[in-house]
Amino acid sequence: MPNSNLTEDVKKLIITSLKLDKAPADIADDEPLFGGGLGLDSIDALELAVAIERTYRVTIPDEKVGKQVFASVSSLAKYVGENLA
Amino acid sequence: MRRALVTGGSRGIGLAIAKKLAHSGFSVVVTYAHDPAGAEAAVHAAQAEGLQLTAVRCDVNSPHDWQALLGRGTPLYEEGVAVLCHAAGFTRDKLLMMMPPAEFDDVLGVHLRGGFLAAQAVMRGMIAGRWGRMVFITSPTAELGRRGQCSYGAAKAGLGGLMRSLVWEVSRFQITVNCVCAGLVDTALTGELPAAVHAELLAGIPQGRAGRPEEIAAAVDFLVSERAGYITGQTLAVDGGLAAVHAEPF
Repeated sequence: MPNSNLTEDVKKLIITSLKLDKAPADIADDEPLFGGGLGLDSIDALELAVAIERTYRVTIPDEKVGKQVFASVSSLAKYVGENLA
Repeated sequence: MRRALVTGGSRGIGLAIAKKLAHSGFSVVVTYAHDPAGAEAAVHAAQAEGLQLTAVRCDVNSPHDWQALLGRGTPLYEEGVAVLCHAAGFTRDKLLMMMPPAEFDDVLGVHLRGGFLAAQAVMRGMIAGRWGRMVFITSPTAELGRRGQCSYGAAKAGLGGLMRSLVWEVSRFQITVNCVCAGLVDTALTGELPAAVHAELLAGIPQGRAGRPEEIAAAVDFLVSERAGYITGQTLAVDGGLAAVHAEPF
């Protein structure tokens, strides 16, 4: 279970890197990041992956992993937490 | 200070571009593949003009070389490359029927696949920095064709398609992607043209002369500048009027 700080930080990263007009509280932990209410597309996924790489030094190696990892904030925070150096 | 990477920047058009961008204040890295001594000489000569260039070996058609140059953890990755100009390339002119498939591949590899790999290598940094300029050097052969250049024409035309598709992916990050179509320019690439062929080419150019590498560089310099931010997906021809004349139905 990723610590709540990481989940919160990931939400903030999503908001700042994708320039969303939202607060962290507006994004549910289990809300789908893509194909859902946030209205993000595949290029946003690209940008988010770059932001994750730069901020946490964690890579998303391919699209397959990406699909799983980007399913929700929880899955993303879990992946980052597990892969932090 | 933004960093610029010019492939094939150790000689010819690439070198002129590298020098121009250095003059404009970019921190310039040039790649070379075959001639380290030539690259070193070019760096020294530029230095004598007060221009700082860094030369690195990179076969643009090698994902391994790009990984070594711009992969995660490398200095260039950390700093990010804001400007890419893909000027690397050679010709292997032959009539299609006589062309060994491997030579077709080589030409496609350096110009087209090399351009793709270069774009891929610099993309992360440009997205992270939310600013970027990519310029691919193309040729009138792409649209007009030229005997013996089916591989070169295919590769250069391909860059146009790549550029246009990329525009749809990267525009939101303030990254522009354009082509500069360099007409006849006297460099090592065209230096071996027989005099008769050279004369024939000149006859088709309204200005009646070859272009100078600096004239190509000037176009690239403009496109990568801050003030060219609304120009993307374009091919700017610097060719003494060559393509315009051929486009005229008569």
